[in-house]
Amino acid sequence: MNEVLLVFFYALLTAVATGLGAIPFAFVRTISERFAAYSAAVAGGLMLGASFGLVAEGTGYGRGETLIGALLGVGFILITQRFLGEQDGHEMVFEAVSGDGARKMLLILIVMTVHSFAEGVAVGVSFGGGVTLGAIITVAIAIHNVPEGVAISAVLRPQGVSVGRCAGWSIFSSLPQPLMAVPAFLFVETFRTALPYGLGFAAGAMVYMVLVELLPEAYEHGDRAQVATLATVSAVAMVLFQQWL
Amino acid sequence: MVLGVSGLTALAAIVGPLPLALGRPPSRSVIGWANALAGGLMIGVAYALLTEGLGGALIAGGLGALLGIFFVRTTHALVGTGELDVDGPDSAGPGGGYKAIVVDSLHAADEGVAIGVAMAVAVPLGVAMAATLAVHNVPEAMLLSTVLTRRGLSVPRAAGVAVAVNLNQVLLAVATFAVLGAVPAGLPWVAGFAVGALMYRSLVELLPESYHQAGETSIAMVTLLAMGIVVLLVGVTG
Repeated sequence: MNEVLLVFFYALLTAVATGLGAIPFAFVRTISERFAAYSAAVAGGLMLGASFGLVAEGTGYGRGETLIGALLGVGFILITQRFLGEQDGHEMVFEAVSGDGARKMLLILIVMTVHSFAEGVAVGVSFGGGVTLGAIITVAIAIHNVPEGVAISAVLRPQGVSVGRCAGWSIFSSLPQPLMAVPAFLFVETFRTALPYGLGFAAGAMVYMVLVELLPEAYEHGDRAQVATLATVSAVAMVLFQQWL
Repeated sequence: MVLGVSGLTALAAIVGPLPLALGRPPSRSVIGWANALAGGLMIGVAYALLTEGLGGALIAGGLGALLGIFFVRTTHALVGTGELDVDGPDSAGPGGGYKAIVVDSLHAADEGVAIGVAMAVAVPLGVAMAATLAVHNVPEAMLLSTVLTRRGLSVPRAAGVAVAVNLNQVLLAVATFAVLGAVPAGLPWVAGFAVGALMYRSLVELLPESYHQAGETSIAMVTLLAMGIVVLLVGVTG
């Protein structure tokens, strides 16, 4: 197979794996406010842990560039929040949910989709080292994407979105990976320069989302000690998982 | 060296009560931002130890983190400070000041372990962690001295207490470094312990309290800034 098609196919597989993150939510029957709070804590922890991994990787390419990228990521979310908040008096509706719930779901989908652009570049740049390693890298990234699907589903499912649609949106959020992996593979050197900015951007956007949306929601409806335990365990587990891969 | 560095870190707390000494007690928002700054720095320290301190011993690091969470949860249960807002109405009773001191002493203990273990991993990392926690000690001392002066303590005495609670930091930094020198295999366990304890403590004490004191956007900004400071310090010393 053509090398470019191969990179696209491998990266597409990693995107599909994100949908597996919805599976644990198929076993949850009732969705209470408390369940939503603890889901937000788990999502927040996973995103925090994923950001640690992004920053560690980004600083390997350039520390200042990663931090500048993080600032840009925060700026992007601030602008997005403002845009989502200004709907000229029309209440926002998404997945048959209106108001704050719709805004929160859209925000996490935007954040996770944007962060996939950076991950796609990372995939493409690493493929630049040789396609023979492609299968191993694909498996690692695919497994890495599963908890990201958990994080997305943990926000969507408590709003009443079906498990199938949670899986669909999770996959959607990872589609930029195959799209960005191909140009990054073809123009490795150019993209390598931009990579720390992209990784920092993704990390800044994700941590900001955790701090401004997920943790306050978790604290509002959940027991503080349980929220802190779930978020800490999720974050540490995510970092260890990524290091293991 | 560990004694000197951790001693300086503990002493940095003396800067915290300065606004009170100048007759300008901090507003509620400033206290919230101080909490967020302290919390973000603790999460940053956890990031640095997680990414640089485990040396590939992932299971030991993970189990250590669970032990760290268990330690903080247990001490909270024993002392009765699980849901305490140091600056909130719950701490307004006669035991409130005592509880605030206990909470800060326990903070200092985890932080001392973090400095000791970071020094054992690599001296530059240890210096970065000590510098981070020195910055962290300033808002923490400001918060504690504010709480204590509201209970009638004079500013110099409150400042003295705010510095004294950090003695744990020095003792545990030295003890951790010495123990890990004798038993290097314990390093990922202790690093994991510090990660679990610091991150959990930040998420159970500092951040929830900060959200009550200032808006979510500003708290998120200050916390992110604090985490960025740690990333910079690790780079400068490394």
